[in-house]
Amino acid sequence: MMRYLIILFVLFLPIQSQALTAQEIVKKSQKAFLYQGKDFKARVLMKLITKSGRERIREMTMLRKNYGTSGGEQKYFIYFFKPADVRDMTFMVYKYPGRDDDRWLFIPAINMVKRIAARDKTSSFVGSDFTYEDISGRDLEDDIHTLIKEEKLGGRECHVIKSRPKAGDVNYSYKLSWIDKENFLPLKEKFYDLKGDLMKVFTADRFGEIKGYPTVVERTMKNIRSGHRTEVTFLKTDYNTGIPDRLFSERFLKRPPKKWIK
Amino acid sequence: MKKAIMKLVEFSVTRPWTVIFLTLILTLIFSAQFPNIKIDTDPENMLRETEPVRVFHQQVKKDFGINELIVLGIVRDDGIFQPDSLEKIKRITDEILRIKGVISDDVLSLTVTNNVVAGGGTLNVRPPMPSVPETGEDIENLRREVLDNPLFRDRLVSSDGKGAAIYIPIESKDIAHDVGEKIKAIYENEQGPEKYYMAGLPIAEDTFGNEMFLQMAVVAPMAGGLIMIVLFIIFKRISLIIPTMIISMLSVTWTMGTMIGLGFTVHIMSSMIPVFLMPIAVCDGVHILSDFYEQYPRLKDRRKTILTVFDELYKPMFFTSLTTAVGFANLAWADIPPVRVFGLFISLGVLFAWFLTMTFIPAALMLVSEKRLISIAEKKAVGSPMLARLGKVSLSKSRVFVASGAILLATAMYGVTTLSVNDNPVKWFKKDHTIRIADRELNKLIGGTYISYLTLQASTEDDIKRPEVMNYIEGLQEYLDTVPIVGKTTSIADVVKRVNYVLHDEDKKYSILPSSKEAIGQYLFLFLMSSAPDELDNFVDYDFKKANIWVQLRSGDNRDMTYVVNRVEDYVNNNPAPEGIKLEWSGLPYLNITWQRLMVVGMLEATIGSWWVILILLIILFRSFWWGLTAMLPLGFSVLFSYGLIGFSGQEYNMPVAVCSTLALGLGVDFAIHFVYRFREKYRETQDLEASMQWTMGGEPALAIFRNAVVVGIGFLPLVFATLTPYVTVGLFFGSLAFFSGVTTLVFLPALTGSFKGLLLRT
Repeated sequence: MMRYLIILFVLFLPIQSQALTAQEIVKKSQKAFLYQGKDFKARVLMKLITKSGRERIREMTMLRKNYGTSGGEQKYFIYFFKPADVRDMTFMVYKYPGRDDDRWLFIPAINMVKRIAARDKTSSFVGSDFTYEDISGRDLEDDIHTLIKEEKLGGRECHVIKSRPKAGDVNYSYKLSWIDKENFLPLKEKFYDLKGDLMKVFTADRFGEIKGYPTVVERTMKNIRSGHRTEVTFLKTDYNTGIPDRLFSERFLKRPPKKWIK
Repeated sequence: MKKAIMKLVEFSVTRPWTVIFLTLILTLIFSAQFPNIKIDTDPENMLRETEPVRVFHQQVKKDFGINELIVLGIVRDDGIFQPDSLEKIKRITDEILRIKGVISDDVLSLTVTNNVVAGGGTLNVRPPMPSVPETGEDIENLRREVLDNPLFRDRLVSSDGKGAAIYIPIESKDIAHDVGEKIKAIYENEQGPEKYYMAGLPIAEDTFGNEMFLQMAVVAPMAGGLIMIVLFIIFKRISLIIPTMIISMLSVTWTMGTMIGLGFTVHIMSSMIPVFLMPIAVCDGVHILSDFYEQYPRLKDRRKTILTVFDELYKPMFFTSLTTAVGFANLAWADIPPVRVFGLFISLGVLFAWFLTMTFIPAALMLVSEKRLISIAEKKAVGSPMLARLGKVSLSKSRVFVASGAILLATAMYGVTTLSVNDNPVKWFKKDHTIRIADRELNKLIGGTYISYLTLQASTEDDIKRPEVMNYIEGLQEYLDTVPIVGKTTSIADVVKRVNYVLHDEDKKYSILPSSKEAIGQYLFLFLMSSAPDELDNFVDYDFKKANIWVQLRSGDNRDMTYVVNRVEDYVNNNPAPEGIKLEWSGLPYLNITWQRLMVVGMLEATIGSWWVILILLIILFRSFWWGLTAMLPLGFSVLFSYGLIGFSGQEYNMPVAVCSTLALGLGVDFAIHFVYRFREKYRETQDLEASMQWTMGGEPALAIFRNAVVVGIGFLPLVFATLTPYVTVGLFFGSLAFFSGVTTLVFLPALTGSFKGLLLRT
């Protein structure tokens, strides 16, 4: 009996997804994009590129563990390989829904762990064009989401969602997202500044499937005003590796275990 | 030659209406170009685009993401740290961020510029005032935070707490005036005890360009009007002076029309072409009219009179036009693009004026009815007893005159040596102009609105993070802070020191540079991690190969910038930079001293070059070396006297003066040519020195020269009332040039002729 019900449910699934509200689409997208799996690990290659083509390289291992459901609490652990003079620097973020993050940074040159205030979620993530929000998501209830149209982007059917922040807590006025109807990954996002001009553009450039999870393995965020852009590539991406809770502590910030950062 | 020119005159006398009609058609064609006018008010364009300093300036702007800055100061006498004033700073900043053309990400203000602070064991990178503090305690904390911090004190807040500044980078200099107007609208909307001042070189330069054309539109017609009044007082016949006025306007219209039609932009310099052309164009008319008044009573027929006048004058008029045209054309050798355009088009204008004098004036004079000329016919011969006496005395006491002339010249030369070369675009406005007031007030308040950059260039990546390089930057800054004109310096070293200080719980002991490259790198990384990717770009380039020290000066005088540059050179000679590090200056104040140097030297060389060319030309035209040389003396004298006067009066030699001195090419030579030519003609006829001199000085030739000196000297006085100082300078300088050219021609040429008759009069 149960089995039939499930089959019936699955048969109705496409119809149901068409009836999704904008809010639900965004929620699914957040799950697919930022909360996939129990935990996540990748070697992240970040290229910061100026308008004239000058580059700064960041290379790091990023570990993420979910606590609770999509949109819930998360912990991040980041170990830097490059630039050379910051090797051994580590960075840890506890992300909470509905309140400010906790962030810690370990400075090896003076062997000190320092807490870093996180008042502003639209501040840059490790000096890139991505903000903390772009990396770890924005609370669903902070915006009014509207489904403005459906269209094809690069051969994929997409929902186009407009998200307008309810409070003036960010440096943009609204965002348009093209969300893949099938896997709910965002393919493109356009941010408009307070003057109403296009401010920055996110694009998902390459996809992979890791342990069955569709994943954006190459992405770019481009600041339209300055011409500066950040290209991110995920190498050695993995899910559900069993990252232990105790890793996310001050002790391991100073002495990160080789097993997890390599 | 003679035939061709006289045929032209004869044709114009015979077919006056045809000539006037054709002139009208041509004028319409030239005027039709005016709507295509392109204006360029950027003094930077004084330099070739490939000029190394300009290329480097652009490179620095690119490397460090720097743009030209407007500085807005908000001042309150009883202190800015009060809730309502802080509220205004926030509101005004927010609105400025929305102005199109403002580079919002780089605006510096208390509400958007990041500071690093520690509180409760937490490191915080955020602006000092993300929102306006409400309680007295919060305000006190804010005051302490910014006044305690070298990255904010004297930069964004004055050390006495009375004023705050907002630095507004704009996309390009040519929108500075427009953006400035929008900023003005924002702060004028606010009420309260605060005062607002807006300064910065781009706004001065762009506003200057804007007001320049307004001034031209007001002042040039005023000069034209006054010239007409003076002409009327001299000749008392409107119908006779109108042709002269018309051709001076037409030659301006034709020249500017050609320039615009050929696609040249109207630059600060070329905007002065009308003012330069007018007196040159009027001069011939005055000679013609003076002679007309002399000949008409004798001939009592306008056609005959015109032909006689032109027969007598066409040659000196051709000589003066040719020498003036060649003299100005010679400016095309200068290395300064706008000077080339200026020289070539004035040269063209002089030729237009000559052509119109040969065609339009005879045609127009033919239209004046004989009836109206009766009163002229009854006049006695033209001449001035005073000038006649002067000629006699000068000739009989020629050695005394020559000796006193030599003494005067020596004095003038001494005056020239006291000349101080200086310029400052802000000083192109009069003292009571809002831009000057803002400049004075803001430079008292903060560390200076003139922002120049001292760049350190290393050869390999990350070199800037080396402790010895950081220490060198710190040392340079400490030294610069002792130079009086420097109000504030900021650099990457300040940021590193600040992070060190904050990481160690704001312990003054740690307000120093760390001693390892790793620590420096990690501090900078920490700062960058918590702010935008381009946050430090104004201080350091992307590969940490170049660092940029912001050097804020309280004065934009080129002299002061030069002083700072020299002091730094001294310092670097005594304290050599670390291995592989090169230092270089840039920024608008530095750019200005470069174009000043080029301008002063370039104009001087070009003017001297023109002097030689005209000398050679005159030697050929007069077929006499000594007469050629004599005719060149008034030009040299008048320039030296004028410069000497500037030197003695303590005025500064600046761009407008440099430009004005070229007018001597047009006036000084003209006077002398007329004098020498007319005198020689008479001498050839009579072979009698005294009689010829008496005829020249007592008759129409000297009178016409004297009248021209008066017309030009007085005609340009309205410029003295212009609100922009370059035009004031033009007015004064034209007056003094006309005066000295006239004096040297009328006072010293007779004496020189007498003293050197052995050389000059042998045949």
